Amino acid sequence: MPDSNPFADPLRFERQVPECAIVIFGANGDLTKRKLIPSLYRLAYERRLPATASIIGTSRTSLSDDAFRGKMHDSVKEFLEDSPFDEDQWTGFAKGLHYIAGDLSDPKLYSAIKDKLTALGRTNVLYYLSTQPSYYGEVVERLGAAGLGQTTAQGWQRIVIEKPFGHDLASARELNERIHGVFAEADVYRIDHYLGKETVQNILAFRFGNGIFEPLWNRRYVNHVQITAAESIGLEGRGAYYQEAGAVRDMIQNHLLQVMATVAMEPSAVYEPNAVRDERAKLLRSIRILRPEEVPLYAVAGQYAGFRHEPGVDPASQTPTYAAASFYVDNWRWAGVPFYIRSGKKLPKRTTEIAIQYNTAPHALFTPDAGGVTMRPNLLILRIQPEEGISLRFLSKQPGSGMRLRPVSMDFNYGSSFGERSPTAYETLLEDALTGDATLYTRQDMVEASWQVVTPILEDWANRKFEYPNYDSGTWGPAASDEMLARQGHVWRNS
Amino acid sequence: MKPAAPVIDPEKILRDLRDLWAQLAKDQGSAGGVLRACSMTLIAVAEHDDVADAELARKTIGVLMHGHPSRAIVLTPREGGDFSGRVFAECWMPFGGQQQICSEGIEITADAEQTDEVARLLVPLIAPDLPVVLWCRGPRAFLDRSLDPLFPLANKIIFNTRAVRHASSAIEFLRRLRKEGSKDGRQVADLAWTRLTGWREAVAHLMDACDEGWLAAAGGEVRLEYGGGRPGTRTLYFARWIERALPGVNVTLIPVAGGPGVHSVVFAGCGAETYVRLGEGSSLEVRTAERSYSAVLPPDSEESLMHEELSILGRDPVFDRVLG
Repeated sequence: MPDSNPFADPLRFERQVPECAIVIFGANGDLTKRKLIPSLYRLAYERRLPATASIIGTSRTSLSDDAFRGKMHDSVKEFLEDSPFDEDQWTGFAKGLHYIAGDLSDPKLYSAIKDKLTALGRTNVLYYLSTQPSYYGEVVERLGAAGLGQTTAQGWQRIVIEKPFGHDLASARELNERIHGVFAEADVYRIDHYLGKETVQNILAFRFGNGIFEPLWNRRYVNHVQITAAESIGLEGRGAYYQEAGAVRDMIQNHLLQVMATVAMEPSAVYEPNAVRDERAKLLRSIRILRPEEVPLYAVAGQYAGFRHEPGVDPASQTPTYAAASFYVDNWRWAGVPFYIRSGKKLPKRTTEIAIQYNTAPHALFTPDAGGVTMRPNLLILRIQPEEGISLRFLSKQPGSGMRLRPVSMDFNYGSSFGERSPTAYETLLEDALTGDATLYTRQDMVEASWQVVTPILEDWANRKFEYPNYDSGTWGPAASDEMLARQGHVWRNS
Repeated sequence: MKPAAPVIDPEKILRDLRDLWAQLAKDQGSAGGVLRACSMTLIAVAEHDDVADAELARKTIGVLMHGHPSRAIVLTPREGGDFSGRVFAECWMPFGGQQQICSEGIEITADAEQTDEVARLLVPLIAPDLPVVLWCRGPRAFLDRSLDPLFPLANKIIFNTRAVRHASSAIEFLRRLRKEGSKDGRQVADLAWTRLTGWREAVAHLMDACDEGWLAAAGGEVRLEYGGGRPGTRTLYFARWIERALPGVNVTLIPVAGGPGVHSVVFAGCGAETYVRLGEGSSLEVRTAERSYSAVLPPDSEESLMHEELSILGRDPVFDRVLG
């Protein structure tokens, strides 16, 4: 609803998704069945998607509309998160599901899509690329050749592109050029589902909605920041993809650098898509680019024992399943503060968190006492998953005689303050794209800036031969990672 | 003779709450434990001497807890009654979850003539540092000033003027209360206004779709048809809302046969056929010069209305403008 509407009441009125169609390329893939269709179903369940919305799935496999509906029915039942499945609701939702079989390289597929959109009377269209990344450019160009992809007065045409957005800086730029040949930048939605997570969005609320934290959010008080995305599982059938991607491309270049940008960015003047994205982009451009000779000192690669035996993985693979790096932000707020980022598979537990470690008190007032501690830095933990919440660790006097101190934790838990279900990241992001809100999507300059940050690491590692494996499953990664922090007087928070 | 002082000890109620949580934790110890959830204090004042209303309030709170976990205090004023209090918990298991979530509650019965004492009793029972919402369920607040001592406790006071006889007086009362509370940041809400959200949303979208645009409508005339014999607060709010949004527009109130509330709104300046009117069941019929469609009204239940109000704990500029 335009702001100029004198009847607008954004506090109470639901965002309205207009009549539209969603065209999913790669409709037979994992993402579609695990995330996209369950999220769209849930949006429909909550009446946040119009009952008239059409969803057109495409892939090479030959399927009828009904067969596609049947497959999606089973997927939604299996993968719907934190909510029950309602058969009646499904029946209504399924009427809007359609399927077109075709080859991504075949112009006939695009003509069929166009005909279907015309038959359905849909002029607002969201295209969702959930295919192999190597097809992105071609699909976009073929959409353009079929006369699709142009926003007009009759309706909008937007495109959502899944990561990885390129496999290096040059390919990301090339892909951008191809996309811009058809879609305007304002209609391009590069998805990073981490930004759609409630807890990542809450970082902005925590920092900029409160008065007490932001004054402590700088080099004067913060000693260092650790961002960890640990997975206890391995490849889960994604061997072929992962072998090409590795930990840096899979997690650091996109998710974790975006999280870092959210933690470290300056406040924007207003909460509007480009204002927020300008600040994120500015932060990403402020990350110091490692010189080639610095990479061995500031980045660590790892591969877990057994990776090379996974299906689809080269027995001599040099792909890192673990990556850690020390980054510095060259601006007044963060000069000299290390940001340690790590991500790995087969680590002891699944956890994603940001730990902000503050400087210790400048003077040790309390003398050591048996069993007590005297100095311990305060720690602010922003937990993204699981157990979403925020904790602050500080020292407290132990009950009893004497002044014995002990670290304690003050916890905010999402579940205990907001009892209701949170929307999944894909629900949030799909609804945003359908209503034209790009705040939580990445922009071309952000993508390029983050590729620039990781390029020296990728180039260095591509030219080295590592003695893999160098860490066991169930451990916190290679010893070199601990050593990297130890050189700077720090220790990973392994808890 | 003035009744005796309250016999409830707030300390004892707080001890009872601690014991309740200890028991819940014990009961759930091996089954994932219990998560204590609280984001506000919600004080529901039931109708005088109306045990059934208190029971209904508790049921509604039980539903609301899922989205707005709170320390609930259900207060039943009774004429010449004794003070009594007991604690309870509302628990639920989130879908697919393993840990039960519980919110705590306190039921208090108190002498209706001693609201001052009740207010003093409530102070230590309010969850510290969290918003306090006072929900005055019946029209009593408008009949006498017996609930006034409770108002300063709250950050937001929710009324329901649906059943009040003198709509204009009720709106004036709310306007005055809002003005008095504005320096403390106290908000005032009325579920009669909340009931209009579906109507207002339909009108807002109608304006988006109207070819001539709302500017054209501003120069025209708006007819508001209502039932029930005389305009209630809902009708008056709706008319004021349109007038505030379209300065200079003339809203004419037209009584029609049928139940109380708004029946239709017609924008004469936006094409002859532009209107929103009550349809079948819980739907609205919307018609513009180009097309007609149905809009589903949100549920009219107390739970959904309260859910909407509890989601807005800060200032509500649109309602403020309507109150004037």
